[in-house]
Amino acid sequence: MQPEWMAPTSLEEALSLRAERGDEATVLAGGTFLGILMNQGFLSPSAFLSLGAVPELRTMEVVDGELRLGAMVTHRRVEREASDWPVLARAFGLVASPRVRNVATVGGVLADADYASDPPAMLAALEARAVLRSPRGDREVSVGELILGYYETCIEPDELLVEVRVPAQPEKATYRKFRSRSAEDRPCAAVAAVNDGDKLRVVVGAVAERPQDFPDLCAGEAAEIGARYAERIEPLSDSRGSAKYRRRVIAAEVRRAVEEVAWTPA
Amino acid sequence: MDPRVTADLRYSVEVERPGMLHAAFVRSEVPHARVTVVEPPDLPDDVVLLTPEDVADLGLYGCQVKDQRVLADTARHVGDVVAAVAAPTRAAARAAAKSIEVAYKDLPAVTDPLAAVAPGAPLLHAQAAASAKDAVSIDVRPIPGTNVCHRFRIRHGDVAAGFADAEVVVEEVYRTAGAAHAPMEPHAALAEWEDGKLTVWSGTQTPFNTRADLAGAFGIDPERIRIIAPPMGGSFGAKTFVRLEALVAALARKAGRPVKAVLDRAEEFVTLNRHPAIVRVRLGAKRDGTLVAKEVDCWVDTGAYADCGPGVATKMGYAGVGPYRIPHVRVDSLAIYTNLPPNGAYRGYGAMQSVWASERTMDLLARELDMSPLELRRRNLLRDGDVFATGEVMHDVHFDDCLQAAADAVDYEADPRGKGLCVLLKGMQTPSRAAISVERTPVGFVVRSASCEMGQDVRQSIKLMGAELLGCEPGQIEIPDPDTDTSPFDTRTTSSRSTYMMGRALREAVADLERDGERGFGEVRNEGGLDPDTGQGIASTHWHQGAAAARVTVDEDTGRLTVEHVHAAVYAGRVVNRAGAELQNEGSMLMGLGTTLFEAVEFADGQVTNANLSDYNVPAFGDLPRLTHELIEREGAEVHGLGETALPPIPPAIGNALATLGAHVTELPITAERVLEALER
Amino acid sequence: MTVDVILNGRATTLEARSDEMLLPVLRRQGLLSVRETCGIGVCGACTVLLDGEPVSGCLMLTAAAAGREITTVEGLDEADPVLRAFNEEHAFQCGWCTPGFVLTVKAMRPGDDVREALGGNLCRCGCYVKIEEAVRKCAT
Repeated sequence: MQPEWMAPTSLEEALSLRAERGDEATVLAGGTFLGILMNQGFLSPSAFLSLGAVPELRTMEVVDGELRLGAMVTHRRVEREASDWPVLARAFGLVASPRVRNVATVGGVLADADYASDPPAMLAALEARAVLRSPRGDREVSVGELILGYYETCIEPDELLVEVRVPAQPEKATYRKFRSRSAEDRPCAAVAAVNDGDKLRVVVGAVAERPQDFPDLCAGEAAEIGARYAERIEPLSDSRGSAKYRRRVIAAEVRRAVEEVAWTPA
Repeated sequence: MDPRVTADLRYSVEVERPGMLHAAFVRSEVPHARVTVVEPPDLPDDVVLLTPEDVADLGLYGCQVKDQRVLADTARHVGDVVAAVAAPTRAAARAAAKSIEVAYKDLPAVTDPLAAVAPGAPLLHAQAAASAKDAVSIDVRPIPGTNVCHRFRIRHGDVAAGFADAEVVVEEVYRTAGAAHAPMEPHAALAEWEDGKLTVWSGTQTPFNTRADLAGAFGIDPERIRIIAPPMGGSFGAKTFVRLEALVAALARKAGRPVKAVLDRAEEFVTLNRHPAIVRVRLGAKRDGTLVAKEVDCWVDTGAYADCGPGVATKMGYAGVGPYRIPHVRVDSLAIYTNLPPNGAYRGYGAMQSVWASERTMDLLARELDMSPLELRRRNLLRDGDVFATGEVMHDVHFDDCLQAAADAVDYEADPRGKGLCVLLKGMQTPSRAAISVERTPVGFVVRSASCEMGQDVRQSIKLMGAELLGCEPGQIEIPDPDTDTSPFDTRTTSSRSTYMMGRALREAVADLERDGERGFGEVRNEGGLDPDTGQGIASTHWHQGAAAARVTVDEDTGRLTVEHVHAAVYAGRVVNRAGAELQNEGSMLMGLGTTLFEAVEFADGQVTNANLSDYNVPAFGDLPRLTHELIEREGAEVHGLGETALPPIPPAIGNALATLGAHVTELPITAERVLEALER
Repeated sequence: MTVDVILNGRATTLEARSDEMLLPVLRRQGLLSVRETCGIGVCGACTVLLDGEPVSGCLMLTAAAAGREITTVEGLDEADPVLRAFNEEHAFQCGWCTPGFVLTVKAMRPGDDVREALGGNLCRCGCYVKIEEAVRKCAT
């Protein structure tokens, strides 16, 4: 028995199938994460709902100064084409390898909620919103509302993540990816920082189950902000560093990111 | 166009035989237990199950200590194969293997070599002592009633007197983690029986050793076993001695059909790794830097089965003395069983672990003496005519040239800050034997050699040497895959010996051909060996020699180390295959870089926790520093193998460089976390 | 199920299970340059070009490649400049990872940083120095 293969050719059809089948049909975007789970024997889908043939999900456009990325837009397109969002382009461009970026999608990376992925932290710092659509209508959620835990999101079984909306990127923004081992390793810690002139937003990724976003800590000198983030976060321990080590990196990298965006405390 | 570029080369994974079945393995999930395999009632008819009862008639095997069974009824490591299945497809075999239940009666386990030699430690092999006689070219010395399957000693001079005479003494303990070879092509083997004769196609570096071990295990004459060795997609020591061959042979025997096995990446991490080691060095010198006494103690974790751990412990022992004149030397190196996957041959063969310890200690001594690390080494380097700690007289040694070349490459003498050096000696398999045959054909020649191709380009090297001797083009020489039925005997393709030994054998074979007209045969030996009780004798008929230098910077806030430049100078004697030699240097250096910075097989309760190529990092393009090297040649010199030489000096060169920046790290890999801790001490 | 693709320039119908990746399917077609190695898409030894861009064959469901152009090394001409550069610079040892590198290099654009473009292709034999030289050679 091989799994059922569903490949809708319109968003309407895709949404209808999603509502009908819910989580019993595995949604397939770029398939890189799904492929790893399948190859390692962690997942054997009984049905696939492939979004690969849905043209509406591949649009990438600017509307009212806001970048709107269809859920099936690849990392590579953001990397190469989001010219007015250079730090976002950079964050997408740092993900894994060209092979992954050629197929992995904007919607997929958020829906997978892999704690080590780069785009979620950057999108959070840019105050991006994800559009979740179902027969009940649309709802927009922040990255913080979307990602609930390790590989866990708030997406309901009848919903599809259809679009990500990113407000205009302030000039003073940075994304720092710290790898403790090989240049190709998953990150030990990553920091997205955005300074829009009025406020500073710092989001730390890859250190815990969700992007670590503490607006209340974003005041004062760069070193203080770094120290406070390191204290507030409860980092994980793995091959890339112990929790204790990650705290040291968080302090240093947050400080550096804040310095890079030339934050001047009031 | 080379078939490796056009993807026309066929590797060991690609062998197929009509009617073949695919194997899958049932592996222990615990580090030490008596196991019972429960045959499921609903196993499909076309699935063949192999349990310990099926192989109860087979003997023990092991290249240096016969301590392995074809199927373990006592599992000694997580991943130990306790049952096997064969089925028409790989997917069916894997599904069947998953359905096999295993009952465990847990036994106490040890997962650290020091714990394994502590009093009261559980014994992994009650009969370790029994196997000493059949050892492969080394006199194995187990310590009965312990987990020590081999102890190697050097007793040279009188260390007590030596240390009494010393004016400065330094001592330190070093640790090296285990590493995975991680060849890109996994292990693969296919076995077929026909009329009582066993043929095994295997990606292996050791066809004749494997044949001998299988003959012993199956109780048949070696002539009734044929090993064919297709080219491998990398090996680096992983594909040595019996790995899958006995399992597929036993499955094929039960199934009455050929059986093929190919490991998946997770299985690669529980098949054979590199020996973790703890090495203590104590070094004594006069104020003027003259070395007078040295003690080296090695605790070598050989895992659940000895494999070639005794050989590795031996080589680690004498490589730890270093290329220096030291009148009083004591070395004690123990190969110790633990309930971890077996450790075996790995590029460098033990040298890296003790060279790390030895060369870091030289810099410690230099600091005590307030002397340049370069100067300290120069004062003590072995020259032709000097006696090494094994009692052998050195000849054709160029350690000073290697060291100077490395130092010059990083401008060490102008400013040593942020820079480190290392010089090493490493032995070549001694004794050993290599034979080769040449036959004239209408268009050229066929040369038969059991040297196995794993990327080191040995076939091209033989063709180049052959072309020179035979007066033809390299392209006119055909070299079939190693085949124990038709290839003359060769000890094995390890230890960077093939170009040298096959070159000498080829010279004999061509001379023989010239006498005969149609065919020629040549065989050479190198004689020697060390007395395991005293370490005296001939460790190596000639020495592999090299040095490295590194320049590093450190991010003091995160401990992240950046290698700015690394250079290796290797003594080649005479270069035969220049591109091949350069690639071997570059490859060795990159592997050394990985070992230095991030490679470590990690365990929790005996389970490998990073058994994939994301959690276990191997060097990638982005990790490439400025990497330079040179091959040192001398007029009239012998070919010196160099497939490994440039790996061991990389960690000490980097470690010594780092030490000048205030971080004295004694454990490999030098992780950023360790650097940070060291900076703060 | 059947999946129609353009394989090395030829319209081809592939037979595959719906949950089968391109890697085993292409190997069944005799395209042995695509190699099973890490299973998680990090090593690049199973690289194929999909509409000219490199992807991991081990993570691409065959059905998802319907209607696309797939290129493997077997589809390259012997006069291909990348193949020739790798051959002339001897930018290989065991050769297992070489097809992945060749295809990835073919997909590089002028101005691409070599180490970034090839970072996802692992070579355990350690040929990066010579591969970099080969890439430089093709660029000219």
